[in-house]
Amino acid sequence: MSDLNGPATFADDGRATIERTVEINSIKIDNIDSYYEIERTCQRILEGGYSRIALQFPDELLPDSASVASKLRDRTGKSVFILADTSYGSCCVDEVAAEHVSADFIVHYGRSCLSPTSRLPVLYVFGQQSISVEKCVSEFDRLIENKDTPIIVMYDVTFSHAADQINNQLSKIFSTAIATKITKEANTNHNCQETPVSDSQSSQEYASTTDDCCGSSACCKKPVVNKPLINPEQAQGGRTYVLPEDVKLEDCTILYIGEENITLTNIMMVHNKCPVITYNPEKKEAHRETVPVNRLLMKRYFLVQKAKDADVIGIVVGTLGVASYMTIIDHLKKLIAAAGKKSYTFVMGKLNVAKMANFMEIDCYVLVACPENSLIDSKEFYRPIVTPFELEIALSKQKEWTGDYITDFQRLLPGLRDDDFTYDDEEEREENLSDEEPHFSLITGEYKQGRKYGSKKLDGTSLLVSGITDLSLRNNESALSTLLESPSGAFLKTRTFRGLEQKTGEHEASLVEEGRSGIARGYSTEKDLNTSAP
Amino acid sequence: MVNFTVEEIRELMDKVTNVRNMSVIAHVDHGKSTLTDSLVSKAGIISSGRAGETRFTDTRQDEQDRGITIKSTAISMYFQMANADDVKEIKNQKTEGSSFLINLIDSPGHVDFSSEVTAALRVTDGALVVVDCIEGVCVQTETVLRQALAERIKPVVVINKVDRALLELQLTKEDLYNSFQRTIESVNVIISTYVDSALGDVQVYPDKGTVAFASGLHGWGFTLRQFAVRYAKKFGVDKEKFMTRLWGESYFNPKTKKWSSKPTDADGHPLERAFNMFVLDPIFKIFDAVMNFKKDELFKLLEKLEVKLTADEKELEGKQLLKVVMRKFLPAGDALLEMICIHLPSPVTAQRYRVENLYEGPLDDESATGIRNCDPKAPLMVYISKMVPTSDKGRFYAFGRVFSGTVRAGLKVRIQGPNYEPGTKKDLFVKAVQRTVLMMGRYVEAIEDCPAGNIIGLVGVDQFLIKSGTITTSETAHNMKVMKFSVSPVVQCAVDVKNPNDLPKLVEGLKRLAKSDPCVLTLTSDSGEHIVAGAGELHLEICLKDLEEDHAGVPIKVGDPVVQYRETVLSESSITCLSKSPNKHNRIYMKAAPLSEELSMDIESGKVSPRDDFKTRARELADSHGWDVAEARKLWCFGPDGTGANLLVDTTKAVQYLNETKDSFVAAFQWATKEGPIADENVRGCRFNIIDVTLHADAIHRGGGQLIPTCRRVMYASILTASPGIQEPIYLAEIQCPDTVMGGIYSVLNRRRGQVFSEEQRPGTPLVTVKAYLPVNESFGFSTDLRAATGGQAFPQAVFDHWAAMSGSPVEAGNKVYDIIRAVRKRKGLPEDVPSLDKFYDKL
Repeated sequence: MSDLNGPATFADDGRATIERTVEINSIKIDNIDSYYEIERTCQRILEGGYSRIALQFPDELLPDSASVASKLRDRTGKSVFILADTSYGSCCVDEVAAEHVSADFIVHYGRSCLSPTSRLPVLYVFGQQSISVEKCVSEFDRLIENKDTPIIVMYDVTFSHAADQINNQLSKIFSTAIATKITKEANTNHNCQETPVSDSQSSQEYASTTDDCCGSSACCKKPVVNKPLINPEQAQGGRTYVLPEDVKLEDCTILYIGEENITLTNIMMVHNKCPVITYNPEKKEAHRETVPVNRLLMKRYFLVQKAKDADVIGIVVGTLGVASYMTIIDHLKKLIAAAGKKSYTFVMGKLNVAKMANFMEIDCYVLVACPENSLIDSKEFYRPIVTPFELEIALSKQKEWTGDYITDFQRLLPGLRDDDFTYDDEEEREENLSDEEPHFSLITGEYKQGRKYGSKKLDGTSLLVSGITDLSLRNNESALSTLLESPSGAFLKTRTFRGLEQKTGEHEASLVEEGRSGIARGYSTEKDLNTSAP
Repeated sequence: MVNFTVEEIRELMDKVTNVRNMSVIAHVDHGKSTLTDSLVSKAGIISSGRAGETRFTDTRQDEQDRGITIKSTAISMYFQMANADDVKEIKNQKTEGSSFLINLIDSPGHVDFSSEVTAALRVTDGALVVVDCIEGVCVQTETVLRQALAERIKPVVVINKVDRALLELQLTKEDLYNSFQRTIESVNVIISTYVDSALGDVQVYPDKGTVAFASGLHGWGFTLRQFAVRYAKKFGVDKEKFMTRLWGESYFNPKTKKWSSKPTDADGHPLERAFNMFVLDPIFKIFDAVMNFKKDELFKLLEKLEVKLTADEKELEGKQLLKVVMRKFLPAGDALLEMICIHLPSPVTAQRYRVENLYEGPLDDESATGIRNCDPKAPLMVYISKMVPTSDKGRFYAFGRVFSGTVRAGLKVRIQGPNYEPGTKKDLFVKAVQRTVLMMGRYVEAIEDCPAGNIIGLVGVDQFLIKSGTITTSETAHNMKVMKFSVSPVVQCAVDVKNPNDLPKLVEGLKRLAKSDPCVLTLTSDSGEHIVAGAGELHLEICLKDLEEDHAGVPIKVGDPVVQYRETVLSESSITCLSKSPNKHNRIYMKAAPLSEELSMDIESGKVSPRDDFKTRARELADSHGWDVAEARKLWCFGPDGTGANLLVDTTKAVQYLNETKDSFVAAFQWATKEGPIADENVRGCRFNIIDVTLHADAIHRGGGQLIPTCRRVMYASILTASPGIQEPIYLAEIQCPDTVMGGIYSVLNRRRGQVFSEEQRPGTPLVTVKAYLPVNESFGFSTDLRAATGGQAFPQAVFDHWAAMSGSPVEAGNKVYDIIRAVRKRKGLPEDVPSLDKFYDKL
């Protein structure tokens, strides 16, 4: 193939793709039974009476997938399927893939963002990393001088198995130690009957930490049910904790057990007013997080400013698993329309720079994804990518940047949110359309006059006459149909190359010749070259 | 008491031939505001006794406290010529009656506020250039004078602080004459470099009455005309003839009563110069009599000069007496206002030749015709040059000049921002003017309407313009040309609120700050910091103070001032760089090469611009910058922001589909030049040559997604292989000081990497003017340092001059540039190491 010229060199036979090696640090686990909690999984499957089980593995755990699957199949006798290479992040439960095999139960292995799912019952198996509890507690003890500081203990999911021991120990040292609970399953029939392990633990830890906490062993997953929520920030993804009434969140110090990863970033962004101390179980040392979370926040603030300047916004669907993603997309569409801007919806699987740069008319993207995958550093991207929360700040007149930050879009859902949010009044906007003040762009330091889309004022006929920039389509009856207010049409006008335009007089007329035939992978004329190559 | 009413002013507005729009411009501390007081007092707005101390046009508290002007202030005045016949002296333009409306704008002299001067010049037709008779023509005098001439504004000169020359320097008459002569010459040298046939000869000559001599502090001043009138009456000769005799090589022999052009008489006895004899002599005599307490002599003299003092005034002594006597003898207000009315053009005269410099559109459309004729019935054309804060917080008067038509309250107008393009709705608003007001320094007067040729404040349009813009009623009107500032915001610092809840107030404050100053820039950096950028340290200081106290009204934290750098290349790329698209189906080969500094400057000054016709531009590039014409024609675009000093050139041969991908290349080029690879700073002076491109045959595989990131990478690779360098902004600093403290200046400059390139002694004085290049980065605290080193005797003026390459490579450790770049990257939250080439360069 090497001596070929022309486009044929590009259109190879796909061998490269198949032969490509993917760099994954796979780990082979020795004690499969305990690491993958085979016992608990089987118990849950049998209890629920599920028949088709989907096992979702992240890339790094794939080597064990076969043995885990066969173990489960042997013990339960049900059909077991392995899901890999998820469409979005491997931290999210891939319900769509599971539905392809008509599974009625998913077991999710490895790190998880703990986003609630909408359809299928899920059991999370995090995998148990070893941790030295004593070392961990003493490190924290060493770093925090004032033992009266309220602390909130959080941890990476892989250390959840040791959480209770650590909580117990810490509550002996600190006067106010608040524990975090992690959901281990979702949508199962047993939601309110906790697994025996966590059941006993939860009653234990609540008794030992704070008295005025819910205290009951009943469903701690949703403290909302038991107790009016004092502070909405208490629920963060699948992590829940209950603050005692006399403790303010700002005063708390957060202890985080685990390596530096997006979970930590996420926690720090949301709790940006609290100091964070992390303990790295591998290095066995704790340190105060000095990564200026403020800096991260301010970078997001910059993106909000960019979103404010955008006229055309692309909604990128980054998840099909997280519950109510459709609702939030609808919410965003309404929000964008209410601000007089134009939205497009994209489904493009995993994001990459090349895909996103294909749509040059989009000024800004908003990504609907699980909290941990929402924070995209869009430096390399042609256009900024913001979260639904940021877009809301940018577009809604009622919301302003206060420094509080939400990564979880669940809390923006119209039915669930606790602030009295309303869409900007469209009627009012219509009236003020011509009155609208230009907005001061903090990106350029100048006034930015937004292009307005979706105005109802103009009726069809006037648009047909005045639509200078609109794209015209010729439909089958060869009548002109007009695509009104199309930003793509407007964008096309600004391009130097607009496709097949007739340049009357610029080119000499010439006879029609027969062109190439075939497909791009190898045109008929190139076939000979292809076959002649070794 | 104010000796005029708004009605009188309104009436005069219609007689455009009797309107004079003028600005007072000068170097800092040459006495603009003080001199303006004399004029204002003539109009009765302040009492003549307080003139010279009030500085009426310094309306802000900090202006009064610091003793410098920060904002330009406009004031309208009514002036009645004392002698109706004087009107006849107004040559080459029509006049009706002997009353005049003078719209005066007092401007700041400090270089940091030059943008205020630019805004003032735009709306005026004439300029009163004030020059200190001791310090002479300084850097800022030159800058503002050049700007005035570029705007086709006619100058008249007043030589100020003559009292100091007499009292402090004790100059002889002949020395004083020579000093005047030198100053006038240096002004004329500057003017003569700007020959503009449309404007005619605008050099200034005392014998034509375009130069005045004054003491703003004491409130006296004169032109030769005053003396000519006096003597003409006495000797019964023609005053114009006499006036020409009062200057230059003209001597009077009192014995023979004959004029001569030689300084000696027939017998070889020295003769006294006519200027010294007729003009300076009475003044010297008065000074001598008053300061040496020869009261009897003084009163005799005054009687001869027909100056009457009241009984109270006769009791005064010393300087107080001198002031009163001189003010009665030679009132500055009359002399200057007469000079202004006689020699400066009326709007009708001025707009005829200014129109081509003012209007962007075709010079034969209705708007241009309206401007040319200054026609109050033509379509409205108003240029808003700046925003003036009102007492109502957050609102502004849009301050500008009606060039054509008549503006009145309730009129529906089109407000066209600087980005307006005719025929589109971009940056265009249609609104009604709420009110029109007359700007009167510290207060405003409501006025019903305002015809062409006048300066006006508009209420109700400020929300739609950030700093400046065009207001019109014509749908076909193009914009008035945007102003070109002599300063650029090169010093910036980050601001943040102390209390996070105040953030919305800060954002609102930044918006107001951006409005209130013609030059300041407020924006958000991509690390989310709020940035305020100004022309210099003082400018920034004032802006931040305004932001904290007025605009935002919340406590703020201010970061250290930082400067922006520019990334550039020093040689051609050592290899042809290649990057492959993510799908591997497209390849771009590119090389970077430096642009000559001259070309970069030409692009920045607009001499070579993206709007030029590509053929003429190619010719210009080939003729003046040695480009290959064929290549110059294939210049694709300028960047960043479509205008910067970087070029993308297509040097490929016969690449299929290339024209279809041009948009992607341009987008990537804009992006890459905005955020360079070294430190995310703008790229400057860099030319990218597209050597070759391989594109996939199918359009879908060569879309923007594949090409934009690839093109950006290959540009970064090209920069990294072309010995990347860093440019820093350099100030031109001018320091004036007595020669005794020169040592201190040199040591301070040395410490700060400054380079002295000129040192001039001002003849007849111990003053030395040092000119030096000083890196902006080293300029923080420069004036304080300098004052400390010279015992407060040296005052620097620094203005951004050029970009200069810093020696040292930003990618190799062990030099200063490397450290600076690491610090910049750290501040921006980037990894400290400059990314390596293999991140951008692909192997074949």
